[in-house]
Amino acid sequence: MSQIHDAVTELRNAPGVKGAAVVTNDGLVAASSLSPDLNPDVISGLSSYLMMTTNRSLTEGGYGACSKVQLNATHGKAVFVQLDESFLVVLFDQFAEVAQAEHEVDETVMRIRRAAKLT
Amino acid sequence: MHLIQRMKIWKELRRLAHRAKEQPSPSTFVDLGQVYINLSLHDKAVRMAEDGLALFPKSVELRQLLDCARRGLRNRRAIEIRAKLARSSSPKLFRELALIQMDLGDSNALRATCQQWSLRFPDDAGSWLMLGQARLTSFYRDLAAREGREAVQCLERAVVMDPAEAQTRRLLSEVLYRIGAVCEAQKHLQVLREIDPSDQEVDQLLNHVATLTDAGDDLNVLLDEVESHGSLRNSSLQAALPVPCARRSITEVRAGLTRVSGIVGVQKAAFIRGSKAIVKGEIKSARDPFLRIVRVTAKAAHRFARRLEIGSASKTVVEGEHGRICICVFGEVLAAALCDDACDVEQVLSELQDLVAGALHAVKE
Repeated sequence: MSQIHDAVTELRNAPGVKGAAVVTNDGLVAASSLSPDLNPDVISGLSSYLMMTTNRSLTEGGYGACSKVQLNATHGKAVFVQLDESFLVVLFDQFAEVAQAEHEVDETVMRIRRAAKLT
Repeated sequence: MHLIQRMKIWKELRRLAHRAKEQPSPSTFVDLGQVYINLSLHDKAVRMAEDGLALFPKSVELRQLLDCARRGLRNRRAIEIRAKLARSSSPKLFRELALIQMDLGDSNALRATCQQWSLRFPDDAGSWLMLGQARLTSFYRDLAAREGREAVQCLERAVVMDPAEAQTRRLLSEVLYRIGAVCEAQKHLQVLREIDPSDQEVDQLLNHVATLTDAGDDLNVLLDEVESHGSLRNSSLQAALPVPCARRSITEVRAGLTRVSGIVGVQKAAFIRGSKAIVKGEIKSARDPFLRIVRVTAKAAHRFARRLEIGSASKTVVEGEHGRICICVFGEVLAAALCDDACDVEQVLSELQDLVAGALHAVKE
């Protein structure tokens, strides 16, 4: 578990990242490293809602499950990567280039997957 | 205010001003503007909102800040005018105050001002015109017969007092032909043409009214019919004109969708506004699950962004076994495309953005 936490904390140091968290599909926070203005419970609830709604509509339409969602809003950006029974949420500030942090995000996903297999 | 309190506020203001300079974003400008509004420095808040809008022209929050600050300025101006009126009144001051109250939507205050105005200057038709305009706005909004009757009475009184005033006749003729009293409206329009034969708008109005059918001159019956049907009998000249514009916007949307579906790797493309959709590519019917997926995902993304207070979700990309679904939202319209892995997502998003922005612009036109 501490390996997942370490991976998330390291990702938080990437440029433009305001916070990162691993949230289970039912909305519980497994690990998080967020800036003080972000509430982990709010992030987990909202992310779980978004991922569940998107996944449900995709499977009902015969499109299969989603692996990644990228969202750009007026004052911020977010990336959600589906893991096995959970997903990784990464929040960026509005000026961040998500593509620049793609490598760090992919690396964190690999680390979390490896750590989850070990546990 | 206590000196220490005041010092604290100025310190906070300096901090926010520094933040707005160093990290310009809509929220930093809004925070600073909000403090100025709380300190009743509405002019500074207006400047702050205008500076912010120069950098972030699409920000809804900054527009709301500008609106709020301008309302504050209007309120202050209204207080100043009332104070001036208490010292020495003039029709010009009354007109200015009434216009501000109309802008603020304060109908009770407007009524009181017009009442005072007509008592002090009984020969000035301006108070009746202003009152008629306010009643007319309420009538067009609620379609209540009582409001319509009062609007017509006020405007008729203003016409009797100043027969050469063009605006009064214009408003009166419009309400008359829109409720069905076409012949009555034509009489006022003929007078308007005599007042200014070079006015092309009057000619357009006369041509428009000539195409309408007269429903009689009993205004009470006509207004009651409008109230019971919940709609005006005839549309205004402006409403009759923009049909070609709406047609043009649909043509542009279709052309935009064709461009999107022409990008290598794009399988389906859709433009959605409310319950209506225009589609291109491998979509056979309105029941295609792609349309539902796009709607549901866009709504969920919008809710996520709003609740997290990061503004409105403008672009969303969903990756999975199906490929990539790119969604672009702007206001109430959204455009989306389903593409395969080889597709240039940036190009698709850029085309979708142009499509929704252009469509929204056309709708506003």
